Amino acid sequence: MRNKRNWKIEILGILLAILWLVPFYLMFVNSFKTKKEIFMDVTSPPEKWSFDNYITAFKELDFLQTLFNSLFITVTSVVLIIFFSAMAAYALSRAKSRISTVLFFLFVAAMLIPFQSVMIPLVTVFGQFEMLNRGGLIFMYIGFGASLSIFLYHGALNNIPRSLDEAARIDGANRWQIFWHIIFPMLKPITVTVAILNIIWIWNDYLLPSLVINKTGSETIPLKMFFFFGEYTKQWHLALAGLTLAILPVIIFYFFAQRSIIKGVSDGAIK
Amino acid sequence: MPEYLALHYLYWKESEIVAKLLMDQLTKSYDNKTQAVKDFNLEVEDGEFIVFVGPSGCGKSTTLRMIAGLEDITSGTFSIDGKKMNDMEPKDRDIAMVFQNYALYPHMTVYENMAFSLKLKKMPKAEIKARVKNAAEILGLMDYLNRKPKALSGGQRQRVALGRAIVRDAKLFLMDEPLSNLDSKLRVQMRTEISKLHQRLKTTTIYVTHDQTEAMTMATRIVIMKDGVIQQVGTPKEVYDQPVNMFVAGFIGSPAMNFFPGRIEGDYFITGQTKLWIPTGALPEGQDKKEIVIGLRPEHISHTAHVDETTVSVKLDVVELMGSEYMVYGKLEDQPFVGRVEANIELEAGMVFPMAFDLEKARFFDPVTEERIK
Repeated sequence: MRNKRNWKIEILGILLAILWLVPFYLMFVNSFKTKKEIFMDVTSPPEKWSFDNYITAFKELDFLQTLFNSLFITVTSVVLIIFFSAMAAYALSRAKSRISTVLFFLFVAAMLIPFQSVMIPLVTVFGQFEMLNRGGLIFMYIGFGASLSIFLYHGALNNIPRSLDEAARIDGANRWQIFWHIIFPMLKPITVTVAILNIIWIWNDYLLPSLVINKTGSETIPLKMFFFFGEYTKQWHLALAGLTLAILPVIIFYFFAQRSIIKGVSDGAIK
Repeated sequence: MPEYLALHYLYWKESEIVAKLLMDQLTKSYDNKTQAVKDFNLEVEDGEFIVFVGPSGCGKSTTLRMIAGLEDITSGTFSIDGKKMNDMEPKDRDIAMVFQNYALYPHMTVYENMAFSLKLKKMPKAEIKARVKNAAEILGLMDYLNRKPKALSGGQRQRVALGRAIVRDAKLFLMDEPLSNLDSKLRVQMRTEISKLHQRLKTTTIYVTHDQTEAMTMATRIVIMKDGVIQQVGTPKEVYDQPVNMFVAGFIGSPAMNFFPGRIEGDYFITGQTKLWIPTGALPEGQDKKEIVIGLRPEHISHTAHVDETTVSVKLDVVELMGSEYMVYGKLEDQPFVGRVEANIELEAGMVFPMAFDLEKARFFDPVTEERIK
């Protein structure tokens, strides 16, 4: 009985895995084909495995610079989001005043505002401060990322007994030390969640950088990728090679981080 | 730290200087409306083990937290060794505290938990090691130093919490219901361990509990509180034998003291149809013809072989065998009571049984003010 059920689940799992992997397969094999080959047969492997597409895409994308831009913007934003959101959520969860309740609900409400409705005024204001650059972009990401992150941290913090704060206070720690030595390490599972959510979003984001970044050499990967899709032609072969290059860092990151991500999530039990 | 210094430290630890506390008219109120603690006056001598006891919400924990510096003092002064502490940060008060839920840092090992406060003080590593080792030896935690709190039992966790207090070498230990998360057997064991620890370290300790047994067994002096007001301060024997009012009399002792409302007629106590003789000298003067409440502890209501003016035949509603004795539950003129009978006879519920009410040991209370009449 039990074996039979496992068997069924296994089949389902394999089917799901294939479904998930098909796009990756298509991206991978087609990135080695010429444009003509792609339009003749999308699914078959290339006749000749050639790295020409990759070389061209690498140059066209100015890959190292673009990768650096994406990495710089993503890592800095995520680190700062974690830094500020965790501390803000801590302050909001520990200070039980009316102001902190109002502030918390403001942050939660901010999650509901569609980005499209604020983007034009936002860009106008930032333009006046001459902040339409990578620094300005990071600043905006902190603002947009904070609400969800604060919400998640706030929930976790409410489950950490206050007596831990008090014990640390009596042990001689100041607020900064209480937070960074005692509270923040206990938030690891949530920090991992917050990091993943924000990395995925910022790494893949197209709209905000397209509005903010207007200088050659500052573009992120999604922005640069757009150059393969002209008004009249779509250079699929180069785009797919570029995409493969672009997801490599993420895959490598996940490969190395996987163990600590899973551990971080399962370590959640405080008691 | 070199060996000789470590030895010096251990020696010094055993002969530590302890603290004298003064709480003068301490008050705590929230929003200037509800008063959690009212006019709290207490002087604590060096090395005392003071227990604050009372029902939940009586202000005992609030008082402790004011002493710790975790709550602001609304008015009054608190001082240690003559130094006013009201506005001092907890860390500057030279205190250590043990919490009900242990409050161990879950991501740190036992060693790191105990060493945390010393690290913050920037103490040399060798000295931290010596201190933690010393505390771990006292508490039998040497084998667990590298474990995380998650991997410890409740009793071991509580010991780590104590260890965290010991390494500090604080002048004053504060304990907030430290045993209430443990099962009853472990609680008794840890109770003796804490008492032993106190005898060894002689550190002034303030201990909060709602359990009168803990208070009776551990305290040098007990502070009984109700509704934010101190009812009585005294040694366990004093509060047990000489309770100042019905609240203290009923709170201290288990099972609780029995109360019988009635009237005094000459040498007799009259309740309903029952007339009990009061031995000469037991009754305070000037009570004749007055309404009164008699308080009698269970051990003073017992079985007797000969019937006289202190005995009443009572139907036993419930009989509990405790091993060496029975707890018998019955009613005297509709007033339920508990008595203690030695287990050398056979008793059963439903029996009608002569019980002796030893009014020589009785305490007399005013039915209106509930104060004791002396």
